[in-house]
Amino acid sequence: MRIGTAKENYLHDAALFDTNVQRAWMVALAAALLVLPFISGQYIGYLVCLVLINIVSTTGLNILTGFTGLVSLGQAAFMGVGAYTVAILEINAGTPFLLNLLIAGGAASLVGVVVGLPSLRVKGLYLAIATIAASVILHFVFANWTSVTGGVSGLTMPPASIFGFELVQPNQVYWIIMPITVVMLFGAANLFRTRIGRAFIAIRDRDISAEVLGIRLLRYKLLSFAISSFYAGVAGGLWAYFFRVITPESFPLMMSIFFLAAIIVGGMGSILGGILGAVFMTMVPEILKMMVGVLSPIWPDAVAVMSPVRIIVFGGLIIFFLIFEPDGLAEIWRNIRRFFHLWPFRT
Amino acid sequence: MSIFHKIAKRATAVALGAGLMVGAAHAADKKDIVLGGSIPLTGVFAFAGVGIHAGIQDAVKITNDNGGIEGHKLVYVPEDTAYKVDASVAAFNKITSQHDVNLYYGDSTAFSKTIAPELDRSGKMLMAGASFASELDDPKKYPNIFIPGPSYTDMVGILLEYIAKEKPGAKVGFVHSDTEFGRDPVEGAKASAKALGLDMNLVISTAPGGVDVSTEVLKMRRARPDFVIFHGYVLAPIPEFITQARSMGLKTKFMGTFWSMDNSMVGKMGDVADGFMGVMPYNYYYTTADNAPMLDKIRSMRNTYQSNAYMQGFFSTMMMAEAARNTVKAGKELNGANLKAGLQAIKDFDTGGVIGVPVSVKGNSVPVGRVYQYDAAKKQMVAASDWINLD
Repeated sequence: MRIGTAKENYLHDAALFDTNVQRAWMVALAAALLVLPFISGQYIGYLVCLVLINIVSTTGLNILTGFTGLVSLGQAAFMGVGAYTVAILEINAGTPFLLNLLIAGGAASLVGVVVGLPSLRVKGLYLAIATIAASVILHFVFANWTSVTGGVSGLTMPPASIFGFELVQPNQVYWIIMPITVVMLFGAANLFRTRIGRAFIAIRDRDISAEVLGIRLLRYKLLSFAISSFYAGVAGGLWAYFFRVITPESFPLMMSIFFLAAIIVGGMGSILGGILGAVFMTMVPEILKMMVGVLSPIWPDAVAVMSPVRIIVFGGLIIFFLIFEPDGLAEIWRNIRRFFHLWPFRT
Repeated sequence: MSIFHKIAKRATAVALGAGLMVGAAHAADKKDIVLGGSIPLTGVFAFAGVGIHAGIQDAVKITNDNGGIEGHKLVYVPEDTAYKVDASVAAFNKITSQHDVNLYYGDSTAFSKTIAPELDRSGKMLMAGASFASELDDPKKYPNIFIPGPSYTDMVGILLEYIAKEKPGAKVGFVHSDTEFGRDPVEGAKASAKALGLDMNLVISTAPGGVDVSTEVLKMRRARPDFVIFHGYVLAPIPEFITQARSMGLKTKFMGTFWSMDNSMVGKMGDVADGFMGVMPYNYYYTTADNAPMLDKIRSMRNTYQSNAYMQGFFSTMMMAEAARNTVKAGKELNGANLKAGLQAIKDFDTGGVIGVPVSVKGNSVPVGRVYQYDAAKKQMVAASDWINLD
């Protein structure tokens, strides 16, 4: 049972980590992240990088949809803006990757603000349709602005480099992706300890009441779009450094649905929810594949026969978790923590 | 028996035993040749992926039943990708981290382009795949990749060559989807048409997934082409185009490229399938010919119709196995550069009827194909031309 953690002031209440146990776990996690590329193979390294990129984008969407209540299906297109920006800069200007990523985030932010304009008049499904429309327009631009985007063939870019050392392998690109993901997660978590973050939550809970309280809807809704798109742009930039080939088909509408599913499964309006959702949506199909792979020695054609079953199981798992805990995986995690905090007493 | 004979007999037995042991040890020394595969067994391309998988499996089995590749067992390690690039790359990383992979089958153009730098960096393997993208037909840019058949530009070239022979100076229309796949041969087609003296008077681009083609058919009616080539589709909206064109009284002949040429798929077009033509790099499952033992073998292994994707997977594996065989025979290490040299050494290769003529690798592709036409009475695509080999 956890005792002695009384919150005596507002700062304690708003702290990201309120116990020493939590801080110790965070140190352990940081150590694990530092050691990981040295002990993992390329396959695990690849999956970890993919999960981290998806976490950044999912967190961005969570800021917009989970915390501000504005539904968007344009996250993949914003990632595309970031990816193309990085590729164009890397190919033509050869600027440092960190600057490229910042510019990619900025470019996606600007596009996000424009796309977010309809949010002042519409919300819910109507806004979702407006963002789909924006996504179609961006896709058209990617495919047809051939002189800049390479058209349907896309762009192939050189790898990121640090002091002349090229980061080619997943375990090398990891050293860009991991620190940026950590910084962006801390940024998102801290955002909701500020006036801006609280304004987002107020808008989500009841926008008219928020306006009455003095929150300017125009400014904060567009700010939410800008921040969310910034995350998507940086995620897209990381994606570009990771895969190094960008085509208009790299960022389909299904990808936006993937991120929306991730925040719903993980838990809307929770940073942890975004992380867990991205991990779940990226890793569960791979874990199911591994389980099918285990059958291969005794059942040679297991991959072919079980692949469709695997997809059904994945869909079933999503439905199961949503029925079992509609507030998402983050709530399941909180319940588990609560159990140990109160043990031996029951919640 | 004299003591001399006894000694000689024992010495012979010992020598034979030692020989067998050495032979067995030598056989055990022969490392497996691993063929990895990012295969779209689920997702939007699963209709082809399942066939490709079966084709690879059968080609691997036949290879191993015939003693493997110069004694090396060919081992196939597939992973499902759902036709997503990130999943394909994950599958590649997984397979290559668990096996010493020499040959690989990729599921898409995007995957081929994405993984090409890694193939070049590792220099370990040769890759074929489901993509016929013209861009990949460049040995300098993609030294470790090859196309198991003609590129899309070559496919259209084969059709245009047929048209030029059938009706010199014919008016040709080109309808393609507005995707990377659809746009691929457009410029090449225009150039080939011009070179062959054909009038490509109509080029139509349709939105991906678009089903309302009435505006496009009106353009077609105005241009009145003798032939229209569809590219970048599997089925829809080809039947809609043909139905509306027929209802307007157009006598145009409609043609397709590889992915819209599966016999069962064309049969699904219904009445408008009759007379539909197109290019196919391989023989069909049901093709009967005098010198086609491999087709007989396939039919003996699978007694129901196998798709054109099956033939593609089968042929890809044959070519990769032959490249590996040439490399082993030359006593070279099995790496990307040597395997590619082994592939390019393939000249007048008899595929046992999978392709009706001996084939050679040119550049990164095998630019050969044949024009087929659907016979509704037979419910089969039947040959409309001899094999056309592009130089």
